Parts: sequence; C-alpha cells; structure tokens
Amino acid sequence: MWRSSPRISLIRKGSGFVVKFNLVSAPPLAGYHQAFGGVTLHAPEDLAIVNMAVPLGGDARALKAVNTGYGVDLPELGKSVETKKGAARLVRLSPDQAFVIFTHPAPDAEDVVTKRVKKAMYLTDQTDVWTGLEINGPGALAALERVCPIDLNPGAFAMGDAARTVMEHLGVLIIRTGEDRYLLLSASSSAGSFLHMLETSIRNVI
Amino acid sequence: MIIEHPLLGPRDAAEFVYLGDACLIDRPDWQADDAAEQFHEYGYLRDNPAGEHQELWYHEQGDRSWLVVTRDTLSHEITKVEMARDVAKARGRGK
Amino acid sequence: MTQVEHIGQAFKFFEDDERGTQRISVFGQDNRVSAGLVNRAQRLTFSFNGKEMTGFQGDTLASALLANGQMLVGRSFKYHRPRGILTAGSEEPNALVELRSGAAKEPNTRATVTELFDGLEAKSQNHRGSLNFDLMAMTDFASPFLTAGFYYKTFMWPKAFWEKVYEPIIRKAAGLGSLSMQDDPDSYDKGFLHCDLLVIGAGPSGLMAALSAARAGARVILADEDFLPGGRLNSEVLEVGGMAGSTWAAKTVAELASMDNVRMMTRTTVYGAYDHGIYGALERCTDHLATSQGKPRQILWRVYSKRAVLAAGSTERPIAFGNNDRPGIMMAGAVRTYLNRFGVVPGKQMAVFTNNDDGWQTAADLHDAGMNVAAVIDSRDVDAPMVLPGVRHIRGQGIMNTIGRKGVKAVQTTGGVTLPVDAVAVSGGWNPNVHLTCHQRGRPEWREDINAFVPGGVLPVGMAVAGAANGSMTLSACLAEGQAVADTQITDLGFTPVAAEVPVASDESVNGAAFWHVKESRNRAWLDQQNDVTVKDVKQSYQEGFRSVEHLKRYTTLGMATDQGKTANIPALAIMSELTGKPIQDTGTTIFRPPYTPVPIGAFGGRSRGKDFRPYRLTPSHKWAEENGASFVNVGNWMRAEWYTQPGEKGWRDSVDREALTTRTAVGICDVTTLGKIDIKGKDAGAFLDKVYSNTFSTLKVGRVRYGLMLREDGICYDDGTTARLEDNHYVMTTTTANAVLVYRRLEFARQCLWPGMDVHLISTTDGWAQFAVAGPKSRQLLRKVVDKEFDLSNDAFPFMACGKVTVFGDAPARLFRISFSGELAYEIAVPARFGNSMIEGLMKAGKRFGAVPYGTEALGVMRIEKGHCTANELTGQTTAHNIGLGKMVSQKKECIGNVLSQREELIREDDVKLVGLRPVDRSKGLIAGSHFITKGDQANMANDQGWMTSVAWSPNLGHSVGLGFVKSGDQRKGEVIRAVSPVHGTEMDVEIVSAHFIDPEGKRLRG
Repeated sequence: MWRSSPRISLIRKGSGFVVKFNLVSAPPLAGYHQAFGGVTLHAPEDLAIVNMAVPLGGDARALKAVNTGYGVDLPELGKSVETKKGAARLVRLSPDQAFVIFTHPAPDAEDVVTKRVKKAMYLTDQTDVWTGLEINGPGALAALERVCPIDLNPGAFAMGDAARTVMEHLGVLIIRTGEDRYLLLSASSSAGSFLHMLETSIRNVI
Repeated sequence: MIIEHPLLGPRDAAEFVYLGDACLIDRPDWQADDAAEQFHEYGYLRDNPAGEHQELWYHEQGDRSWLVVTRDTLSHEITKVEMARDVAKARGRGK
Repeated sequence: MTQVEHIGQAFKFFEDDERGTQRISVFGQDNRVSAGLVNRAQRLTFSFNGKEMTGFQGDTLASALLANGQMLVGRSFKYHRPRGILTAGSEEPNALVELRSGAAKEPNTRATVTELFDGLEAKSQNHRGSLNFDLMAMTDFASPFLTAGFYYKTFMWPKAFWEKVYEPIIRKAAGLGSLSMQDDPDSYDKGFLHCDLLVIGAGPSGLMAALSAARAGARVILADEDFLPGGRLNSEVLEVGGMAGSTWAAKTVAELASMDNVRMMTRTTVYGAYDHGIYGALERCTDHLATSQGKPRQILWRVYSKRAVLAAGSTERPIAFGNNDRPGIMMAGAVRTYLNRFGVVPGKQMAVFTNNDDGWQTAADLHDAGMNVAAVIDSRDVDAPMVLPGVRHIRGQGIMNTIGRKGVKAVQTTGGVTLPVDAVAVSGGWNPNVHLTCHQRGRPEWREDINAFVPGGVLPVGMAVAGAANGSMTLSACLAEGQAVADTQITDLGFTPVAAEVPVASDESVNGAAFWHVKESRNRAWLDQQNDVTVKDVKQSYQEGFRSVEHLKRYTTLGMATDQGKTANIPALAIMSELTGKPIQDTGTTIFRPPYTPVPIGAFGGRSRGKDFRPYRLTPSHKWAEENGASFVNVGNWMRAEWYTQPGEKGWRDSVDREALTTRTAVGICDVTTLGKIDIKGKDAGAFLDKVYSNTFSTLKVGRVRYGLMLREDGICYDDGTTARLEDNHYVMTTTTANAVLVYRRLEFARQCLWPGMDVHLISTTDGWAQFAVAGPKSRQLLRKVVDKEFDLSNDAFPFMACGKVTVFGDAPARLFRISFSGELAYEIAVPARFGNSMIEGLMKAGKRFGAVPYGTEALGVMRIEKGHCTANELTGQTTAHNIGLGKMVSQKKECIGNVLSQREELIREDDVKLVGLRPVDRSKGLIAGSHFITKGDQANMANDQGWMTSVAWSPNLGHSVGLGFVKSGDQRKGEVIRAVSPVHGTEMDVEIVSAHFIDPEGKRLRG
C-alpha cells in the first residue's frame, strides 16, 4: 500500500480545504503469493509500466535516448532486455512501441521514465492498466501449456523473449524472465479471471 | 489457421480479427467530383474471389498491427503477409 | 460335425448345449485362455447390469465381458435387436454402454475402448425391462414399417399427431443411452502443443516414424488412442526384429519415452485435422480411474505441427449376410486381438467367414491356441492359403443365415451346410483409416488391388500418410514406410535422418477378393449396426432414386451414427455400385468430418463454466460497491453497480428514484471507469482526430473537452464520447463502454492503413484510471473538499468542458473533466486505478455533508433520458447524425470518415425521423419502449408508421414517465399528440411530442 511507504507522505500539512483522507493504494492482486507444489505464483510488488512510443521518423533519436537513459539498446520485436543493474526491463511490443517495466511504488512512473529518455518518445503510464503475476518453478511450463498458444519450449522461447497473445480470452503479455520463470501481464480489471486462469492451470498439472 | 506475421513469426489466427478486402486501404479522395460514387463503391462493392484474395487482418491479441494477408479462399493457403502500413505507404497513402 | 437339415432342429440342439466344460475357468472368467498381455497378477472387479464380474489389469470392458461369457451387451438403436461386441477398437458400432452412475453417468461409451478399472460400473442401454427380455424388442417385428425413410413416409396422418404423439414415441423407442440430467461433476481442460512432427498412431508405422524423427533430433509428438501403444502388433503373433511384435513395440516405446524431444501421448485421439498443420486431440486423463481426483478428466489439445505422419492403421470391414448381427459374430481381426492381447476367446466352437487370406490367420491363431475351429468358409473358390489340420475348408461359399437370438447358435452356408457354432469371425478385408486425410476435403481414391479406398486428393498441409492407412498392408511395408515417410518429412524441415536399418518382420498374406454381401441371404443383412441399416435399405434407397452416396447416406442414415460408419460405409457403397452397375471408383465415397471418434461437449467447453464461462471485469470501486448494497449488472464483461439498496427500500425503483432525485438536488457519484479511454499522442494527434470524428478537434484548446461524434464510412453514427486535450500533442478520448475495443481497432486501422504518414500513437488506458462522475448542484462543493487547494475550481477558472491535471487528497495525481451526462453541474474525476476503491470512500466522506449518494447505471439511465442524451438504444447502427439532431456536427469542410456518404439524399431527408421527447398525455401511464407511433385518426399499421420509442424511464424528478423516440419530422411536431401503439404488449396510449431535453433545456445547470 502506497500510503504506508515511508518515502512519501500524502498528507500535506496545513491543508485547509481538503478533507483529511488517506488514499490507499490497492492494486487488484497486491500481496498475492501462493506456492503449489513445485510452482509458485506471485504478484510482484510495485510493478510500474510505462509505454514508450517512437515518434514517426524519430527512430534514431529514440534509440539513442534509450541507450543513454538505460545503458542498453531497445530490443528487437518479441524480445526484452534488462538494464545492466536490473533496474528495468525494456520490452519491444511492436515496431514503434515498447514497455519499460520497473519497480516503483509511487504513481508517477511516467516522470521517472521521462527523466531517462527526455522527449525522444511519447510516454504513457500503463502501470494501473495491467496486473502482473510471476509463475516460477519446474511445473510452470506444463501449467502454461494449458492456456498459452505460444510455443514456450526453451528452444523456441529463449530467456528474455516476450509475446503478446491471448489466454482464456484474456490478452496477456508473457515474458520469460528465468529458466522456469515467466512474468505475465494482463488487464487489471479482469485480474480475478487472470488469477483463476493461472491457478487452475497450476492445480491441473501439479 | 496460422498467419506468418512478418515480424513475429507464425501466430494462431485466433489472435487476429478479420476485416475484409485489402482494397479498404484505397480510400477515395473525398474532394473528387465523383466522391459519392467512389465512396459508394469503396463501401459496398467487393469482389468475392474463389481463389487468391488480399485481405486485412488485425493482430488484436498481439502487436496491434494491421496486416495484408494474401490467402487462397478455397484452400486457405497463405502465400504472403505484409504490414498493412507498408502496403498503404506503397500505395501512396500519407497524411 | 453334425449337419442339421432343419433350422428348427439346430436351434433345439444347441439349447441343450452346456457351456464352459472345456475351459480353464479363471475366477469365473469362462472364456479366459492362457495367452495375452493382461496382467494376471492384478485382478479387477467390475459390474455389468449389477452382476459382479472380474477381469485383469490391461483388459478393456469388452475383453472382460467376453472373458466372463457375456456375449449380449446391448440392444440396437431402432429395432432393439440383441447385440454383442463386433470389434476390438474405436470403430465399435454395437457395444455401447453406460458407465458409472449418478451425475458421473456417461452413456454411449464403447466397451471396446473402455479401460477396465476396479469398481467400474457398466450397464447396457436401450431396453425396457431387462437386457434379456427387452419389452421394446417387438419393434423388430414391426420392422417392415420402419425401413429406410419411414420418417418421411409413415406417421404422416393425422398431421397434428406427428409432434404430439408419433415423434415422442419414436424418440423414446429409439436412441441409445440416457443422460444423467445432472451437472457434469468432472472438470475438463484445454491446452496447446507444438512439435516438428506429429505422429498419429503408435502402431508399427507410427513407432518407426516417431523413432526415426526423434533420433534425428526433431520434436516429436506420438499420439495413440489406445492405452497400450503398438497398434496391431499387440494383436498379432507376427515377429519384428526377431522378437514378438508386442515386445518390439514395448522396447521402441521405452526408447522414445527416454528421449527429451519426444512426447508420448497414449489414451489420446487425434480427432481432427485443421488448417496449416493444426490438429485437435483429446487426451483421456482419468477415464481409466475410479475417480478423477480433482484433476481434469480430459484435455482437448490444439497441436501445432510443422509436419504430420498419419499412421492410423486400418479397420476391418464386415461382410453382410442374413442375421449377421447376432452376439458372437465378430470381426476376425478383433477375435485375434481378444485372443492374442487379452487372452480371451469369444466362444467354444467357432467358424471363420472370409473373403481374404487374412481371415485364415484368425483360424490359425485360434487353432494354434488349441481352440475348436469348425470351419473356414471362404467366399473364394481357392485352395486354402495355409494348412490347418482338423479345420474344415468350405470354399466358394458364404454364410447365408445364422440361428440364435441372444447369441449365435449355428450358421447356414449358401451351400446348405449348417454348422453348430457359438461364435463367428468375419473378415471382409481392411479399409485404410483415411479419415483425417478427408478433413480438408481430400477425396480418397479406390485401389483395385486391395479393394479399398486410400488417401487421395489434396491432403491437409504438412500431412503424409504411412503404413496401413496408406494402403500398405504388410508389416514389413508398414515399418519401412513409417521410417521413409518420417525421414522425408523431417528432411523438409532441415533435419538429417539417421540412416537406420528397418527391422526384419514377418509378412502376412494379403490376397483378397471383392466380396461384400451374400446375395443368397433372404434374411436381413446388416450393414450399419449402430443405425440399424440393412442391405435391403440400400436397395430401397436405390429403387427410390437416392443413388448418389450422399443421398444414400441421408436417406438411410447409413454412416451417420457416432461411429461415422467406420465398418458400414464401404460395404454399403459396394452394394450401391452393384445396383447402379457403376464401378466403385465412379460411385464415389462420402468423406469424413471431424471428430474421428466422439468428443464430449464438456471437453470443448473446457474450463469455461459457471462464473468463469468468460472473463469478468470489475470496476475499481467494486469492493466498496459490494459493501454498500450494490446490485450488479453485466455490461459486456464488466460488472457494474446498477443501484445501491438502502435499508427500508422495497424494490429497485425505490433505490433508483432516490439516487436520481438526490443527484439532481444534491450530488451523486457514479463509477464510470468502464467507458473506453484511449491515450492519443503525437504531432498529428489533432489532425488525426479530425479524420476519425465528424467534428473538429485540432482547434480544441489545451485544457478543454469536446463532445465527438464518430461515423461509419457509410455515414451512420458509430460511437460518441468526449475527448480532452491535456497537452498540445496529447488527447484522451473516451468511447462508450460497449465500443471501447472496436473504436480502438478502427483508430488503429485509420492510423496504419488510411493515414500512415501521421505521427500519432494510441494506447488504451481504460483500466488505468478509476473515473467517477460527480454530478449535481453540490458537485463543485464536494470536489472542493477533494481537489488540492491550489487548483481553482471556480466557474471562471474551470468552466463547463474544462479539463486538467490536478492532485487530490494531498498530492495524489488525478485528472478532472467538467463534463455532464446527467445535465447537472457535473465533473468526472480520474485517479490511478489502484486508488479507485479508496477514492470513492474519499468522495463519499467529502460528500457526506452535502448528502452525496452513490448511483448506479439505472439512475444514470434515468437521468440521461431526462436530459435527452443518446446511448445504444438510439445509436443502433441505423441512426444518422441528422436523426439525432446533430447533422451540423458532420463537417463537410475536412476529410473525415463517413462525411461523404452521410450526405446521401436518403440520409438527410427533411421528413426523416428525428429524436424527440415523449410524455404520456395521461401522466399516470407508463410509456413502453418499442411502441410505434401512429398519427391520431390513422389505422395502426406499418404504412402509417411514424416512428418508434427508443428509451423510457420513470422520471422521479418530473413525477411521470418520460421517453425518447424517433418521429418522422419530429422536430417540426412538438406539441402534437400521437398514438404510441405496442401490438406486442397489446397497449396503446396518447403521447405528446416534446423536446428531448426534459430537464434544463437551456443547459443552465451544467454551465452554472
């Protein structure tokens, strides 16, 4: 919960007009963690997502800005890359679009990315549009096989590979973040169906 | 069906939404003298070939690209898949 | 061998026969002999019609029933004929039983593929009273009236009787098992698999194909419907590589199972071949267990293959002869399966009837196992292909008739020989299993040399066929072809096959003759035993002109049962070919459709049941709404609060009236997050909006919102909403809830396909912002307590249609829009969705002193009707801007979607319908949506139709019913009283045409 973060106080002292009220951050799957035999399912905390759109004809400038700001090149389509210190993951989603995914509790993720890439790209905060679940463990692949039409065989879906697809009627962005670890992002409004989809898949295979 | 996305490789057609004839890219000039007739043709008159057909598919559950897919409507064989944006530009579309 | 002249005497003779004297009785399994691959150490108990029986691990229900001497297992579909087990595989037409009980009961299950487990309960089907004394068996005697096409010819009079009397009786008499009528207690799943090579069938060809591909490094899936891979190798005494065929199969399977690149899937039927190498497969995970233990019972797999080898083997076909459907009459290959694999023989005294050498193998296997084989009756007048001492060879004859009722007791040959037997093995040759090659409309071709159809025409992309499925009928040919075809397939994919020796195998003799039915038979000779179709029915079909195979199929229902005529089609076709005098290749064949064998509906449904039938979407304030008495309504996938019930409210109207009244007199709060939000950025964002909206947005000032109307290219209204300009290059568009996805799609189409030269970028932010309407005269006062103090909310600083980024409750980011759907002074405020549930609490806390209420979609609907705002009731896909009074919004001065065709003559007629308000002349009456308008004095008919009522509501603010509707030239007819007629409801009332803006027509409130 954002308000409990010691770094930021939401209550401005001496506020005469505004009702004293603490806005509580409650993303749909916050705090979810469940171990099922050899598989764990976990909602990463404070996952911030910002969309970067490359202006028409501004590719060179955008690529340079990403490299300057993050120290890595913007990955190819279908790939993601972690910055050197693992501070952020860049995922290329389409020819002119990429996500920056990083950990950041405050609702100002767009400003964070703006500082890195300046005005080389159009940015849109996507943090609250999505909800994330990380599936990890030797049974993860078997569980995902029940819902994911993409070939996730290690030979076909390498470390860092990313794909946007449909699972159980839900749009899902899946990224392979480890040997048996995948980060899945789906729409936050359907978080209940998203969680049910993955829990059922795991229960059906363990 | 499988659509060989030019950038993403083979993807199940279930990820796509079908629109129709790729002639929809060729939107008439609204200021032409016969604009009404041209738009009527554009909006309503289509070929319905039994055979090779250029058609628009949208990768809605994917990268949101519109594609021009050349498909045989009898055999479903897909012989060519292009980014619709490139096709549109090649056909002279701009702003 | 006693030859009895008179059939009646034969009948009597065998009634006195004693059973089981020569058998080794194993736990009461009188027909169990010493051979087989079953695990005799593992005895299983099961019941059939309540009678306890035993079998062994590795048995099917069919083999266990036969072992126990249970020859009669069911009654036929139409005539209630006693039926037994015909085959040993998935082609079985007869032995359909009900398994399990209660909610788990499953009818119409083939006993021949049901794996035996301890505690299995099975029951026979389609009889009234006991299986032995079926009260419905009389239908058999009525058979002259029930022949092919009887549906179309009899029971036609009196006409009214069909639906109420005849059809229910026929439906009750026919049919097979019955449903439990309870929810399926099992769960099902789906899944996706990928491979280089899919091998369908794990018989000799399939095993060789999989082995060769796997050794070369290809990703292989090997699927077989059986629980024991090996196919016919488990049924035959043939040797492979110097060992028993079944041993070789087991060794090969073990090697495959040890390889990482192989997925071995037993109990898995590849049931359909779809486009581009996609296959459907059904895996039966727990059908062989007493309970599914919470795991999915079956999985429906979608297999993406780069290449496939169809090695589905072949199916033996029967020969039609008089009374050939009696229990105990079986396929010759099935008899070998029961003997060699299961250690079961179906009788004590057997005859073999064959038109080919392979039938002799059954006699040989039985003979070698020490069984009594009375005779081999060969339709061919040829020398015996093998020497079987003590087995009589009756050459050039057929079986003309059989004797018995619940089991065969004797057979009578065309040459007048009567043989007392209790089982008959029949072989009419083998049909390649071409089914999957037809799923993309490939047409099989006739091969004269093997008297069978083989795959022909265009095969599904990437598929090749090997072995018996391809018409290669000997074991060594199957092994060699399996390897060769797989090697070709994987070479295409860039793999290098490992040159391996094909194991040496014994070769069976495959000589056979085209012989389909015994013409001398005077009794009914069955072709399709599942649908009870006889040779006579085919002749009748011919006589009545239904001569093409497609007509034959539909007229007689031949091949239309769940087995798709696997054993019936070819003999029937051959008989039609005889009748028409055309060769079989010219008679043609029907092609097969998926599924190869039945797939339960539950498997197609998968997990999509109950609440999870489809994804559901919750608004950010859902939890708060639940805690505060909300009822929810499904709006697409969204669940929205429709009203909030307060203590003491007796019905929904109480709640809705209160919410609408309080909003108009004080302030109301509504979660409007579900409206689509699209973030639009780029140098050309404004110009782009000009193209997609009928009105202009490039001129909109930063910090302002505008209502936008979107047209379809044909000039009809598509969607509407407000779009805000937050920065020079940044707009936020809202769409209606229902069209959010569709509008986004069209915008991408416009961006990529129509104007690819524009610098504009789209991304949906619908779920990202929790957005609340705060509406009512006290809305500004309320927001003053929420929005941080440095933001000036005064009317001058933040007028109607203003927007901006603000902060709330001390620094939380928010967007504020001054827009109004209710017609009141109103705002919409958006915060990041994570704060949504907390935000409504904050808004309610701040609003307490102003009497704030939450309102749901119903009050929202009431207020928009009172204000005359359109929704989908009005924007139906047939409505123009002209109809809703917004014709002037469609700019003709710029290029935009729909403006050219919107100007077509018929779409801008002055006398077209126009949106108006309506109120009942008698204010106590309730308007009815869907009513049509008729001018006073005119007859109520379509010619006099003046329009229709689109939306109605009770207005708590006005104290009477209000409506919106379309009336011809309605804008010119204010004040006119017109009739609102609803023939559906049988109502009619006088209504007055008024302005659509019932509330505040000048718009003072929302600007105040």
